Amino acid sequence: MKKRYSAVFAILLILLAIVPVFGQAAKKQLTFLFMPGVQDPFYTTMEKGVRAKCKELGVNLIVAEYPKAWGPEYQVPILQAYAQRGGFDGLLIAPTSVDALKAPLKAIYDKGIEIITVDTFIGDGDYSKPNTDYNFPLSYIGSDNYLGGKMIAEHLAKLVGEKGKVFCEATNPDASSVAARVKGFRDGIAQFPNMKLVGVEWCLDVQQKAQEQTLAALQKDKDIVGIFGTNVFSAQGANQAVVNAGLVGAIKIASWDATITNIENLKKGVIDLVLAQKPGEMGSLGVEWLYKYLTQKVSVPKKVIPGFEFFTKDNVNDPNMQQYIYQ
Amino acid sequence: MRTEAAKKTNNLPEMLGRNWIALFIVLLVAFFSLVTRAFFSFDTVQLIFFNGTEVFLLAIAELFVIITGGIDLSVGFVMGFATVASSKLMVACVALGLSPFWSILAASAVTLLIGLVPGLVNGWLVAYLRVPAFIATFSMLGVTHGISELLTQGVPTKNLPALAGDIGNGSFMYVAPGGVISFFSRPQVARGQTVLAIIPNMVVLSFLFIFLFAFILGKMKFGRHLYAIGGNIDAAIRSGINVKRDLIKAYVISSLFASLAGLSYVMKYITGKPDAGANMLLEAIAAVVIGGASMAGGSGTVGRTILGALVIAILETGLRIIGMQTFMTYILVGVILILAVIIDQVFPNRNR
Repeated sequence: MKKRYSAVFAILLILLAIVPVFGQAAKKQLTFLFMPGVQDPFYTTMEKGVRAKCKELGVNLIVAEYPKAWGPEYQVPILQAYAQRGGFDGLLIAPTSVDALKAPLKAIYDKGIEIITVDTFIGDGDYSKPNTDYNFPLSYIGSDNYLGGKMIAEHLAKLVGEKGKVFCEATNPDASSVAARVKGFRDGIAQFPNMKLVGVEWCLDVQQKAQEQTLAALQKDKDIVGIFGTNVFSAQGANQAVVNAGLVGAIKIASWDATITNIENLKKGVIDLVLAQKPGEMGSLGVEWLYKYLTQKVSVPKKVIPGFEFFTKDNVNDPNMQQYIYQ
Repeated sequence: MRTEAAKKTNNLPEMLGRNWIALFIVLLVAFFSLVTRAFFSFDTVQLIFFNGTEVFLLAIAELFVIITGGIDLSVGFVMGFATVASSKLMVACVALGLSPFWSILAASAVTLLIGLVPGLVNGWLVAYLRVPAFIATFSMLGVTHGISELLTQGVPTKNLPALAGDIGNGSFMYVAPGGVISFFSRPQVARGQTVLAIIPNMVVLSFLFIFLFAFILGKMKFGRHLYAIGGNIDAAIRSGINVKRDLIKAYVISSLFASLAGLSYVMKYITGKPDAGANMLLEAIAAVVIGGASMAGGSGTVGRTILGALVIAILETGLRIIGMQTFMTYILVGVILILAVIIDQVFPNRNR
């Protein structure tokens, strides 16, 4: 029986060696691969931006399978399978870890494929530094998360009269974007002498966990006046905790990301402030710069930063603002 | 206990029945290759083994316990614990001034040692206190999960030495254009030129352990004892086998392989977290059963378990390469699992 296995194995190996590589015929058209970070409304909105721009420029688009959870062990095998399949000239990716994605992306870059990271980055996100092991992507296109965190702190401070305790419900410290938001929020709150950040919790993108952690924080510090949820899941979890504790109105909640749920909560008065990133614009800009680089060899800025929009109950029904809701 | 089942037979259906898993793999490869040319390449084979490393190791962990008629539910979180422990130790060693290489080596060695403890406790509970394996290892799942969470406080470990990632994502041998061969480090070539990488380090290291324990299980007295215990524990006791000691050894080996899976994860992803192996437990058990082992104990081999794990790994990577949703994997693995059990009932001595 052992012999039979070896024979089958040997035949397979021989076949692998002798079957010549077809394909690679004359390239008519550019093809890009879009590799999202996790299945959520933020990245589906980004995909829409990517799709629209590709259509406009006549670029073929492959959208990779959405990872079912946030983390390199989910994203890397998907990315590698698509890389193995090949057939794309440019890659737009939201890396799920600042370290773990370096090696797989370098391998793709070495094949001659151009890379732009969107929303999140590898290393410290500064691809202009020489002599690093992460300076090969063309560009990082994403929000200035630090600035966003700081602006949230300032808006929230205004809502609570610039005094009292605040709490932060974050997701995953290994994601560059989230860590920067928290740091910005911390520094933003520190500008107000009568305000104090009493805690930061990490829910690892699990809404249920965010809800439990917020509830625990509310029991520890009963006089919290403001909460900042750093992404879709943590904000929704924090909202639910405040609703369950019967503290709607007494606590001002700021939320990151203009998901439909967050916007509806804003309309109902459950939350009070929503920062909208521009995922569609990130995707669209990513496609545009990849295209310009591959067709005209223009030099691409190493960092491209789309701005923010802020939703409050006063402008949430404004027709001009509707384009910034993720859907 | 081990009857010589491979006696020469010209009975074609029976031969196919006994070897259906190998045949199935050939069919899978043929199918994916026909759908997408890109599937049929040496790189894909390597990718399948690279992505499957942790599941291979966990499947072997599970096999040693399943042969004795038990089950080890803790392997996923023992693996998670190993990712946390080893990565924290690496960071600590570097902070103490050790070079990255020695930090990684020391941390790995210490982790493998600590990693034996859950197995010792599991084995002791099962062998001496007669706690059902399901309960003993389920408790261990909770304990290891909790300890890892306490150690990390919800924050995946980071700032590991970059060398860890170089080892974990590197290959044993490289062939640059022009036939220049180098070992362990990728040669610098002009971008766009292909360097042939041969066998990822993690696959080489894992299979060193897997071959060693295949030998122990297949050729040594201890291995025969395990089959005997799983086949009929009373008979094993009467024939003078030290059943308690051998049971503990089986659970310790299980724990060791779970820790190895943890080390592999850390080297690949340069981070550690409690739930790193959480979703791999069922895949590992499925691999063992698809490989023809009986949950009642007494049967199963390392080779066939690897084939079972390979089926899952080929499906997962193959479906992605042909551009299909991998949710299909869940359905297919479920169907294959049932098929495996049915076929084994039709050809009962396939796997002795």
